[in-house]
Formats: sequence, structure tokens, C-alpha cells
Amino acid sequence: MSICVIEHDELCALVERLIRQWPVMGPRQRKQQPGFYYFDWLRSADELVWDYVTTTLPPKKAFFPPREPFLEFSRPDPAKVRPITDQGPFVLLGVHPCDLAAIEQLDIAYSDNAADGRYLANRARTTAIIGVDCWPDEYCFCTSVGTEQARGPADLFLTPIGRGYLVEVRTPRGQKLLGDTAQLLATDEDEADAAYFRSEKQRRITAQLETTVEQFADILAEGGLTEVWQKVADRCYSCGSCNLVCPTCFCFDINDDINLDLTTGTRIRTWDSCQLPDFALVAGGYNFRRERWERVRHRWHRKFLYLYTQYGQPFCTGCGRCSRACTADINLVEVSNDLIAYAQREKRNV
Amino acid sequence: MSESDPQLSASANVETYQPTIAHITRADELTSTEMLLELQLDDGQVLGHAAGQFVQVSVFGVGEAPISVCSSPTQTGSFELCVRAAGNVTNALHRLEVGDWVGIRGPYGHGFPVEEMVRKDILIVAGGIGLPPLRPLINLVLENREQYGRLIIVYGARLPKELLFKDELDSWADRGDVELYVIVEQPDDDWPGPVGVVTVPLRDIDIEPAQTVVAAAVGPPVMYRFVAFELLGKNIAAENIYFSLERRMKCGVGKCGHCQLNNLYVCVDGPVFCYSDLQGLDEAVEAWAPPTAEAGGERQEPGKGHG
Repeated sequence: MSICVIEHDELCALVERLIRQWPVMGPRQRKQQPGFYYFDWLRSADELVWDYVTTTLPPKKAFFPPREPFLEFSRPDPAKVRPITDQGPFVLLGVHPCDLAAIEQLDIAYSDNAADGRYLANRARTTAIIGVDCWPDEYCFCTSVGTEQARGPADLFLTPIGRGYLVEVRTPRGQKLLGDTAQLLATDEDEADAAYFRSEKQRRITAQLETTVEQFADILAEGGLTEVWQKVADRCYSCGSCNLVCPTCFCFDINDDINLDLTTGTRIRTWDSCQLPDFALVAGGYNFRRERWERVRHRWHRKFLYLYTQYGQPFCTGCGRCSRACTADINLVEVSNDLIAYAQREKRNV
Repeated sequence: MSESDPQLSASANVETYQPTIAHITRADELTSTEMLLELQLDDGQVLGHAAGQFVQVSVFGVGEAPISVCSSPTQTGSFELCVRAAGNVTNALHRLEVGDWVGIRGPYGHGFPVEEMVRKDILIVAGGIGLPPLRPLINLVLENREQYGRLIIVYGARLPKELLFKDELDSWADRGDVELYVIVEQPDDDWPGPVGVVTVPLRDIDIEPAQTVVAAAVGPPVMYRFVAFELLGKNIAAENIYFSLERRMKCGVGKCGHCQLNNLYVCVDGPVFCYSDLQGLDEAVEAWAPPTAEAGGERQEPGKGHG
């Protein structure tokens, strides 16, 4: 890995060049909703916002689209079923550390056991990923889950400094991507600038889990928290927004969409939510998480206990999207801290 | 510049969810709600399933559903599925005829530990639609009958007309080396046998606990708890009890999340589980346990449930 400095105008020129060469996805501001951002294909470097607050949907949609047609079929004999694979390489840029950590976690989960070929094919066609450091808002709590400095799959990582960006060139692909972009030598002052940015970012993060992720997993495993779950469930609408905006949620549903000719169609994978009432429903009408509080608990258990135990890291990157998106204003950090406080109170009373 | 990541592309087989085409070679109505389909893969491959594994069956335009393979693993030219008309896909399967085609993915999951059963007494507990996933195991044991001890089959259904594989039940009853107990909950006038649920005959069967391995699959999820209670009451260790569980698997490879049961995925960790691996999990066998006062409204704690 090497470090260099790129001035702002040079970076814009680089983005323009990338856009001419490949489809490029990056953060843009919603025209109708200033202050709200989303990842989308860029037509010019002007559309790109480097200093954005978190986007509504995470960049996972580049590899795991909300709605992904993956098979084409035709029904009459002879039977015809063929995979849909007509997408080419692309560049993803402007990804925050929390979202880089999330992509790394999806890579792990989708490669494990029988690998998910659809996702991995989409990852494999990613020409490069460019990350950028960020300012938190009141929902961010990446320091509680250790992702504030994550670089994950980034080929290049940018930190804003006085005279442009301090660029960490993390892979040979990143180096190649820079091409003839003017790369200045990073001085001690540049490094100090970047260090100041990072420390100031951490200082501004106010939301905080009140235990380590390890202790939190123990608390969840210990159980006896039904009262807290039920209180959260009393407010929850089971709308699934928390799952749909989560950068590490990877559950999905598979459905067929048949064309009007009733003979041809596509098989489609769509994002799904464990908070929806029918998620764990089986034939005969039996529902394994019938109660709303059981589904609420499942979301926390999956992120902070099951996947934590399986992979050694919580499947939460502290991005705060679920709390921002919640239609009932349920805040993940507040609920987690309520659980922690409840468990500590119970322990004292025993 | 390399346009793809070699590490990622190595396992990037886009065909993870692509079914193989199979044609229906036989379609028999077993009951008014269950159909037995015999299928052959078009590519001439052997399905190669283990007893207790399942496949994802596609009726294109309708969808995909997980269904247990119910024929013996030693039957290689074709395989069989017993399909209960319960949802969109299974109802569509019921409308198919010989010569029609479906998509097949799999087989998936873990089957019964047949090796561990050699020289042991085998107790099969089947309730309703639980018999089909156990049938490959029963067939395997019967094909190599001398390798095993007693074979005890307890099978319960709601109504006499809902009993599956009636001819096979008769042939098992006629053999001298199978102890068969068939029971129904709601008898008709012609029903000659006992009346009740599967736990009733189970209670009276004499077994040697240390010598017995149990394989069970019992339709309504709530029944698992009662069967577990009966079996533990007969001093059979949880380590010697295997349950085949039903969940709504969508992907079959531990990704989609639908079949998750606490920290386990039924599609990869199961569908056949050792009961000792399920004890303590409140979304498995102890699901639907009534809340107890001492647990403060929480579901029963593992180990102190059952009664």
C-alpha cells in the first residue's frame, strides 16, 4: 500500500475519465429533497457529492439489487431456462467506512458454505471500489462496532485534507485506476491533516453502545429480556424499513414473474425482511415467529448474536440507517442500551 | 487493468439458483391432498440424495418449493416426491401429468445418520406428512434388513383416508421383521385399529433405550414437543433422537434467511437435526410451549420443559 495526495480538481478529472470508461455508481443528492443522498449511476463528475451524510439505501444494491431478475424461462416443451448474465464491469465510488465494512461482511456471508454465485458474480465484475472518509450525524455509532476506520474492499481510500485528498492506494487495481492522475508526495502536514480529520470525526460521534459487542452478545444469549422486546414491539409496525435500508441484511425472497403471454417469464430475487409477519410462515399456517416481539428480537439476535458468533463480528456497521428510516422512531442504539441496562438491573437483583 | 477479482470470480457461479429440468414419469394420487410424483432428470444424472434430504421444485411461472425426496437413495434411475397440496407451487404440481416437466435444484441439507444406525434398534415416528421424508430411511433399512436391529414404525394420521403409502404399510405389516403401529385420530366405521395420536402407541412400546436410535417427522410443528417428551420419558438420550424439521426454505444454501431457527439454518444444518443440538433453542422443538409462571411469561427454558 502507498499514500499520495490528489488535489480536488485532479480528482474530478479522474472521475470524469472513469465515467467515460465504465459505468460509475456514486452518491448523489436528491433534487427534490436536499440533504438526502442516494447511490446511482453518474453521468458527470458534477453529480457526485463527496461530502455527503449517509445515503438512504446502502451501496450493496450495486451487487445485490433490490429486485434482481436472474432466470429467464419459457414454459411449453421444450423446456427452456437460462440465467440472466448480461451485465458488465463497473466502478463504485464514494463509499464510507461503515459501508465498506458492510460489503466485506456480505462477501463473507455470501461466500460461506455453498457460495451465492449471483452475488459473487456481481462482486467479481466490480472493477474498483473507491472509499471516502466522512462526517457523522447523530445516528452514527460506528465507533461502537469498530468500523470507523474500516477499509474493507476499497482499492483507493480518500481522506479530505487541506489541499485535496490524502489517498491510500490499497491494491494494484487502485494504482492502475489512478493512471496518469497527478499524485503529489504526502507531507507530514498532509498526514497530520488526515489524522486530525479522523480524530475530529470520532469526537463528533455521540451515539454509543454502552458495552462491548462481545458483552452485548452475552447479554442477548443470556435472554430474559422479553419485557424490553415487548416494549419495542408495542411501537414497531413490522414495516421492514430497518431491514431494507440495512447494509448487512442479506435475506431475500424468490418469485416468478410471468409475462402476459403466460408462457415466458423471469425468476426474480427481491430483498426480504424478517420483520414482516409471514417471513417464517410454513405450510399449514404455522408461523415460527408469530409474535411481533419475536421478530424484533430475531433482528437483534441475528445481527449481534447469531452472525456475531458465526463470523466473529456483529453484522451491524453502526451506519444508523435503520434508526433514521424507522417509521416508529425506534432507535437501534437506544433499544440496545435499554437491553443492556435491563440486563444489568436484573443481574443486580438476583 | 484486470476487470474482475480472481478470488471472487473463482466461486462466482451464476447458476447457484438454476434448476435442472426433470420430467414426470409417474403421477399417482395417494389421497385427496397428496400426490406421488416420479421424476427423471433430463441430463441423465442421478439425483444422488441421502435419506432425509430435500430438493427445490420449480413450476415456472408459479414458483419454487422445498420438498423432501421420498424414494430410497438406492433407487437411481428416478426419484419420488410426495406432494401435499398446501400452497401455490404444490397445488400447481398437483395439476401436472406424466410427460410434464419441472425444475429441480438440490439435493440439499443433511439427512439421517444411517451409519450410526447400523446394529441399532430403529424407532421411526411419523405423523401425517412426516412419513414421506422418513420413507427413504425405512426403505434403506429394509433393503439391508440384516444390518439393523428391530425396526419399529409408529405412524399416525388424522383420518384413515389420509394414510399415505397404504400398500407399503400393508407389506410392512406382513413382514415378520417390522413392528408397525398405525393410529388415527378420527376413525371411520371401518377403522379396525387404535385411535389417538402417535404418542399413544409410543407410550406402550418396550424399547431398550441405550440400543435405540429414533428418527421422527411429525407434521404439525406442535407435535414435535410431545413426541420429544414421550421419547425422553422412555429414557432415550437426546443424542439418539433425530428430528426432520419443516421450514420455508427459499434458497436451500443458507442465504435467504427464511428457514433460520435461532442460530441454525434448517436448509444446511438440517432438515434432519439431532435433538441434543435443538434443546435450548426456543424456535425449534419447544416452539409453542406454553409460557410458564416462573419464566416470567417467557417460553419454557430448555431442559425443564416437557410437562
